[in-house]
Amino acid sequence: MTEQKKRGKAILQVQDLTKRFGGLVAVNNLTLDVCEGEICALIGPNGSGKTTVLNLITGIYEIDGGSVTFENAQIQGEPPHSICWRGVARTFQNIRILGGQTVFENALLGKGYGNGGAGVLQTVLDTVKFRKERETFTAEVDEILEFVGLSDLRNERARNLPYGKQRILEIGRALITKPRLLLLDEPAAGLNSKEIYDLMELIEKINDRGITVLLIEHRMELVGKLANLVFVLNHGSKIAEGSFDVIKEDPAVIEAYLGKGGN
Amino acid sequence: MAKLQQVFKRYGLLILGILLLVAPLVSAQYQFYVLERGVQNAIHVMGLLILIGYSGMLSLGSAGLLATGAYAYALLLLKLGFSPWLGAIFAVVITTLVGLCLAFPAFRLSGPFLAVTTIGFGEIIRILILNLEPITGGAYGVSGYSKLFANELHVYFFMVVALICIAIGTERLGRSRIGLALKATKEDEIAAEVMGVNVKRAKVVAFALSAMLAGLSGVILANLAGYLSPDSFTSAESSSYLLMVVMGGMNSAIGVIVSSIVVTWLPEVLRFLSSSRLLVYSLVLLVYLRINHVPATRERFLGILRKFGIRRAADAAEDPCGERGAGM
Repeated sequence: MTEQKKRGKAILQVQDLTKRFGGLVAVNNLTLDVCEGEICALIGPNGSGKTTVLNLITGIYEIDGGSVTFENAQIQGEPPHSICWRGVARTFQNIRILGGQTVFENALLGKGYGNGGAGVLQTVLDTVKFRKERETFTAEVDEILEFVGLSDLRNERARNLPYGKQRILEIGRALITKPRLLLLDEPAAGLNSKEIYDLMELIEKINDRGITVLLIEHRMELVGKLANLVFVLNHGSKIAEGSFDVIKEDPAVIEAYLGKGGN
Repeated sequence: MAKLQQVFKRYGLLILGILLLVAPLVSAQYQFYVLERGVQNAIHVMGLLILIGYSGMLSLGSAGLLATGAYAYALLLLKLGFSPWLGAIFAVVITTLVGLCLAFPAFRLSGPFLAVTTIGFGEIIRILILNLEPITGGAYGVSGYSKLFANELHVYFFMVVALICIAIGTERLGRSRIGLALKATKEDEIAAEVMGVNVKRAKVVAFALSAMLAGLSGVILANLAGYLSPDSFTSAESSSYLLMVVMGGMNSAIGVIVSSIVVTWLPEVLRFLSSSRLLVYSLVLLVYLRINHVPATRERFLGILRKFGIRRAADAAEDPCGERGAGM
């Protein structure tokens, strides 16, 4: 409990979150807090409902029960784009970038549409406001591309990028939305060890910018190195919560991953 | 060579516009009429470029919107006594509003389901026109309304200037974040939503813009023809508009203009084949589409070109990205 008191202000509070798919309870009464400035990890065996939790937080799925609070405002039931505008960004387990568009254009997509700024008429007429906006956007996108290390691939088609770079691009695109909470869904999946090392550095750099991170991950070396706090999910329920060193000794966690031991 | 390409990329629309403006000087009366129809179609198809090319929403009911624009113009003038310019503006507004209604099914439907809905929409409009005889004149059609310009040549110049302005605007839109938002809804709606794109609003915008251009095209059609009948707005017309977008490459305004004029012209050029005309017409289109959109056929075609020593053309065609440029 003393450990809990040291944590800062909660940025994301998930309370009794429940999601059913027909008879299957994918997420069952899940409660977790993510505090400002932390890097938290959500782990669990395959099919334990981790991605479903992200889909519920970002509004892709409708919630069957419970609540999601971001910066003291209840966000459940809002469409994904307005949750994004509040400052929650995410990446996907299976990369979802626009293959035919350039790296720059993919990143620019993070600027969204419908949240103010130059409208259709101003775009078509190429007004002063639109030009100014385009300049600031271009500067912002270039800054982020520099930050994640994709500047030299700026005008490359996204589908021509190697897999690891596509993942980085997706993270960069999420950063363009100016998030305060970044949700990463298995960012290290399919990366080689050099790329994983770079990714860890990037996540730490992102965290240094004051962005809170919640990541789903199977690579335990990454979780152990980065996460302040780990939540363990099994069959949609939280079975453990604590620092990595604590949960890796937890018998319930070991059982969930390895099954019941012989001795 | 590379420099020429760059110049064309930058000023292509202007060059095309000037070519279109001087075209009446050198063309015969009948060719001129076909050209007029081509330009008028291009305005309509520019809207479909936004709707189908950028946003990926397949609409096969666009002839219905064209009809709405044309009939609204004619009827506002005849029945309500509007002045031609006021009537034209109101006709475009009405068509935009009607087109907006089509955006609502698009919130939940996509792909073939949306296409079927739009076919139904197009047919409803056509059948309404056919059966509301006291208002629309039914199968007899309407005529006798006054026109925007007394001189036919002025209509043409107005049309070309409007087309080039619209094309420039469409290209700008395509490169902006709004265009990106539209392209993102086409490729991956969920990813777009999560990146902060209000997908519903993007769809409404796409439908509204395409309906607006269809309305404008309809008004111009009314001005060109002087006589409107429901026969000009069948679903077969809609599919030839679809063809114009697809042949135009689904991504470029210049492509739309060129393909609209070519597809409008092709049946006339092939007229000497009389009864086998439609067969050859479809064959030409099929071959073109296969070469352009099926990679394997494209390779084979380029191989044949090389064999005959047309190396340069083949190499230029090898890089389809070259023509699209690197964005803003």
